[in-house]
Amino acid sequence: ENSPAPLPERAIYGFALFLGSWFGFILYLIWAFIPETWLFTLGLTYWPQKYWAVALPAYLLVAIGVGYILLFGINMMSTAPLNSTDTITDNYAKKQQQKKFQEEAIPALRDIPISEVNRMFFLPEK
Amino acid sequence: AMEERRYRSASGAPIALRRRQHSASCRELAVRCPRLQLRSLSAVTCAVWLAAYGLFVLSENSMVLSAAIFITLIGLIIYLHFVKIDQESLLVIGSLGIQVTSSYASGKESTTFIEMSQVKDVVINEAIHMQKVIYYLCILLQDPGDPQGVSEVVPLFQSSKPRLDCLIEVYKSCQEILEQRMTAPQSS
Repeated sequence: ENSPAPLPERAIYGFALFLGSWFGFILYLIWAFIPETWLFTLGLTYWPQKYWAVALPAYLLVAIGVGYILLFGINMMSTAPLNSTDTITDNYAKKQQQKKFQEEAIPALRDIPISEVNRMFFLPEK
Repeated sequence: AMEERRYRSASGAPIALRRRQHSASCRELAVRCPRLQLRSLSAVTCAVWLAAYGLFVLSENSMVLSAAIFITLIGLIIYLHFVKIDQESLLVIGSLGIQVTSSYASGKESTTFIEMSQVKDVVINEAIHMQKVIYYLCILLQDPGDPQGVSEVVPLFQSSKPRLDCLIEVYKSCQEILEQRMTAPQSS
């Protein structure tokens, strides 16, 4: 039922957004460039200060730049330290149920304890 | 019997692993890190003193120079006593426990002893550390309530960070002693 194919409703939403964004952009340009006195003569006296026409884009760009650094930092903070048990196991592995071993069948998927994995990798088979 | 072999640390620095067999159930493994290089010490000292001289030229205050000398001396002492590790060693005694020792460049030694009943296993674990995935050796401590559980992970060789080939040698040596626990259980 959820296909990405074009539909008439989607075309209408798209066109409305297109017109809306052009309207918003022209309004922003008018607010930023037309002198205050001209706006007052038109009767538009309660618009925000023109300071914000420059301040908001500046805030947005700095926020995007800081956001990159913030994301990097949050990632580093969320990484488990070397001495935590989260590097070895977690709640799902602790509570897993053992399926019975069947002959001639592929063994069921399970979390193998780290001691067993180490013995298989690093101790040579006799 | 004692033997020493050269390996590399995770960052490429040369390290040496020394293995001593004291008896059938007692082994000592020591990893020696490279000593403080004279060229890096001179480089850091020159950089700090040049910066201090630049500040002195700007501010005309001679206290900056004496402060720089003081900071360099105190910084070097703090680095040698608290940061620069010379040797990390692991002493595994089969029936008793495992002792982990770190010796600093100033001569200070910090020791931790873990009783054998608390030790579940010594394994090589992989984890993410500062944008790298490294192998490190760690002691798994037994959870008293749950025979399969791990209560704590004690990472070893944290400042020398040997590479996998060195870790495999240490792992095999430790496992030879830990296996004896299973075959010869002693009631205490």
